[in-house]
Amino acid sequence: MSGLDYFEVECTEDGSDNYNKIATTVLQDHNLLGIVEGLHIYINPAYPLFVATGFIRQTRSVIRVSDVGNVLIQDEKATISVGDETYLAAMLKMFWQKFGHDNVDQPDRFTVIIKNVDIPKDLREWVVIDPSESLFKDLIYAIQVIAPEGFKVRRENYGKNRFSFAASENTLPAEDIEKIIADRFAKMEETLR
Amino acid sequence: MMLVPITYKGGVYRLDEIVDYIEDLGGYIVQRHNIASEVVLQVLMPKEDIKRLIAFSRPLAGEVTESPLVGTEIVVVIPSLEIHHLPHSACDVAEYLRSNGSKSNILGMARGFGKRIAQLNDEERDLINEHDLAIYVLGNFASCIETKFPKLRRGITVPIILTGAPDRDVLEKQTDPPVAGYVGGLGRFMHRTQTEADIHRLDLVIEEVEKVVAARRQEIANDPLSVSPARLQAIIKQEIPEIEEVYSPAPIAVQLNGLRLKLSYPEYAQKVRDLVIEDEVKVGDVADVLPSRMRNYILIRIRPLSETNIVV
Repeated sequence: MSGLDYFEVECTEDGSDNYNKIATTVLQDHNLLGIVEGLHIYINPAYPLFVATGFIRQTRSVIRVSDVGNVLIQDEKATISVGDETYLAAMLKMFWQKFGHDNVDQPDRFTVIIKNVDIPKDLREWVVIDPSESLFKDLIYAIQVIAPEGFKVRRENYGKNRFSFAASENTLPAEDIEKIIADRFAKMEETLR
Repeated sequence: MMLVPITYKGGVYRLDEIVDYIEDLGGYIVQRHNIASEVVLQVLMPKEDIKRLIAFSRPLAGEVTESPLVGTEIVVVIPSLEIHHLPHSACDVAEYLRSNGSKSNILGMARGFGKRIAQLNDEERDLINEHDLAIYVLGNFASCIETKFPKLRRGITVPIILTGAPDRDVLEKQTDPPVAGYVGGLGRFMHRTQTEADIHRLDLVIEEVEKVVAARRQEIANDPLSVSPARLQAIIKQEIPEIEEVYSPAPIAVQLNGLRLKLSYPEYAQKVRDLVIEDEVKVGDVADVLPSRMRNYILIRIRPLSETNIVV
């Protein structure tokens, strides 16, 4: 799969080709191809068990106020001329919270004015959104879509740059899963590093 | 008289003449779609008159094709209405059936997912049994289909076509008792069916459906229905004008041996039973008017000649 440095679907029965295609489509649809570095999927339809393990690339940098638009500070007034509307809603929400609704004005689509308050000097540096916060949620959601349906017993883990997901319709065999996850991580590490 | 299903495609110019001509020949228009300036008519008409219609419509650049699925109502059964099956694997099959002339419905089960935990409830079972044919769109693993399919087919009396990712032979071998048709290589997928290979698999589904429908039609021809469903549809359209105010896609869905009438059962059932078809024969004499499990609709099952001794 393009974009991933490691990708494998391991399956104890015929059908890995289909899951290969499903995983590619789902990651593409959720815009995750650039973020996932490696992905290993293990499926055992007999138990049934689905385990996904993966590495994540260093995440995108945070979005600051200066990324949303040009900031012009004059005395008690700050004017932001919006260049990228993608994060405008999040920025407005943050301003309302910090300065109050009355002091934040949006006279037209591309202008935001803050007045009647002390304008902090580092306004330009304020963080609007940290994409890595929602990243794991998106990722786990995508893996859930890839996994066969009806696997309601789930266990998911994520750390600094790796995640694992195990699911089944039966009770999860904790020890077996630990072993599967550790083995697959070791294998991926060997290939990637 | 044997009625054959055909599709007529043509412009709106002098369409009324085509419609009149079809009706004069003893044909029935089962469904009509207006697509911009083009009109698609799904018609049941006497076999020997098809060439007359072709000759008649030639100057108008109309196109007449045989489409065996016209006049059937088919259900596409999927384990649930989750993103795992929608939109692509389920909707693409249903849409392909529709474009081939059938009236298709999708039924997503409440708890059809999983292997051990899959189950079918009575409402789903009855709803499936109200159709002419059921297509089960199942997943990617042979062992999983083998375990869950017997549970999902329990109590189903209509012919079933089983589709899944394993090869056709594998599906055929593991299904006991056998079902009416199999399509392999389909399974669960998340992409749109665009490639030639994908479309070919959908064609295989249609092929299999046509085979089953043809067999079913032959079975019915051996003991003909007391009245043709298409004729009953025409009578209802004429006698119950309220049907014009129903905005469902197909207010009267024609099936192989009956109709689904999208009017309230408590209000209209008796009215339908009392409709006169010809002379002394009423609808109630040749058909069972039953409550459908789909909303509060009416389901009409036409009885065969051997039961009523009447053919109108």
